[in-house]
Amino acid sequence: MKALFTLLFIISLSFANDATIEVIKKVESLPSLAVEESSTSYDDTFKLKFFKSFIADLNVISIFNVDRHYRKTDYDANDVIVENKDMKYVLRYQVFEDDSGYFNAKMKLIKESQELMNKNYRIKKKDFYMFISHAMAYDINEFMGEPSVEWMKRKVIFSRVVAPKKSELVIADYTLSYQFVVVSGGFNVFPKWANKAQNKFYYTSFDGAKPTLKKVDIKTGKTKSIISSDGMMICSDVSDDGDKLLLTMAPEGQPDIYLYDVKSKKHSRVTKYGGIDVNGQFIDDKNIVFISNRLGYPNVFSKELANNNVEQMVYYGKSNAACSAHNEYIVYKARESSNAFSKNTFNLHLISTKTDFIRRLTASGINEFPRFSKDGNAILFIKNYKAQSSIGIIRLNHNKNYLFPLKYGKVQSMDW
Amino acid sequence: MKSILLSSVVTALLVFSGCSDKSPKVDDTSSASSTATQEVEAVKTETIASDNGMISSGSESISDLESKLTSVYFAFDKFNISSQMKNNVSADAAIIKANASSYSLKLEGNCDEWGSDEYNFALGLKRADAVKKALVAEGADASKITMVSYGESNPTCSSKTQDCWSKNRRVDFKLLP
Repeated sequence: MKALFTLLFIISLSFANDATIEVIKKVESLPSLAVEESSTSYDDTFKLKFFKSFIADLNVISIFNVDRHYRKTDYDANDVIVENKDMKYVLRYQVFEDDSGYFNAKMKLIKESQELMNKNYRIKKKDFYMFISHAMAYDINEFMGEPSVEWMKRKVIFSRVVAPKKSELVIADYTLSYQFVVVSGGFNVFPKWANKAQNKFYYTSFDGAKPTLKKVDIKTGKTKSIISSDGMMICSDVSDDGDKLLLTMAPEGQPDIYLYDVKSKKHSRVTKYGGIDVNGQFIDDKNIVFISNRLGYPNVFSKELANNNVEQMVYYGKSNAACSAHNEYIVYKARESSNAFSKNTFNLHLISTKTDFIRRLTASGINEFPRFSKDGNAILFIKNYKAQSSIGIIRLNHNKNYLFPLKYGKVQSMDW
Repeated sequence: MKSILLSSVVTALLVFSGCSDKSPKVDDTSSASSTATQEVEAVKTETIASDNGMISSGSESISDLESKLTSVYFAFDKFNISSQMKNNVSADAAIIKANASSYSLKLEGNCDEWGSDEYNFALGLKRADAVKKALVAEGADASKITMVSYGESNPTCSSKTQDCWSKNRRVDFKLLP
């Protein structure tokens, strides 16, 4: 019996940190949290808008069972609202405009009538309220000692198709509440952040004679052309230090992956297969994963940059046409049904290169363009379902997906 | 003892790996999905020059010639030219050689809406490349042919039907002076 428990314990340890295993934290087991609003400025519509945004953020951090009732009280009231007496935690906040016209917010976390923490926020424009909401949720998550949700504060850049061969590039917060059109007019696709600071980005422009990779400095507003190729030009990935790019180009009508050195401006061909090789993603300095149809259908392969040895990475799915990698994990898009046009066609799956487990991450619609967060704990993706385009976020360790719909147009591609 | 050990391993695997069905626990109805997205300003677009508006110096305009060229259509996830479409390509090649040899030819590869990723763009390009090779085999000048892929972003038909999707899996011809 002792041996059995030892065996069970050893096996449990070996699987404990595998993200391909579903970890289901039941909602009931999460501590309850009620939110009390005490705002003094702004109209009711805005107050409710902020409340909704904040509740959404608190849900996404996935550490509380969040009560969604909108209740008001005085910020300095000694007791929590009667209805919230049985809540494990109560979060009270206030948004207000100061004498300079700045947008302010302050919050405090209360447990058993004791104030656990408080924090103040200030930003110039009220229109940026969602960034305050994200920051508040981020800080609560930090205070609770949970793994960082740094990605919550990152910006998303995406291309939105508004008409055939017409698109615009948009910078947004991760919920798409804030949207800023940074490039409009013409046909511009595949935006990709150029550095960790997210103040420069690459994109493909179709406005010239050939598809051209361009780089935009957001601070100066300057755009410069980097490299062109007949047929195809896409920046698939940027190395962590921003010095190397994986490009898909097709100078002879043959789509292959190329490595581009940002400093020397030189490029070298990485794949040489006669079919389709695209979507190169750095695993580390020496290895990449990519999509190839060398088996007659699109699938995920890996390759060392220095040699020509190619290894098949995925053995499940009939058509695996997009992927993203983070350490030993690969998330990929798979067509599951044998009928190409049946419902429930494209889903995202997660695999580990160290185990044989496969975890399905989505259930309905066309799910594509998976992108790992920098820490690998979350995946951002595009969902197209019933004529609605959304950006989705998957919390791997919490087994939850959240969707943030796009008001109009269709998301073509995005980076996080 | 051996059977106890075996059953304990099986039990352990069941307990810690979950059942074999990896159906996800997706919470699409979460409150997050109901978050209101801020209304953004109206779409900004600008008019781009249309190739069709250009008039050639010859007797036949570019747009007249283009209208005679027939798009080449493809099967789902395929970039080989079907025997049915080979006649289209031969007819196109004849027009290009006879009347359009002074123009550059741009082949535009397109796909259906099933995927907005790089693979779809590459598929569109391989379709354009297949048409280029077929045209060159029929005697067209390779140096005057360029290619581009628009992936799924340039549909001619937007209904959710198989017939419509098949119309979008195509290579179009554009003549440039």
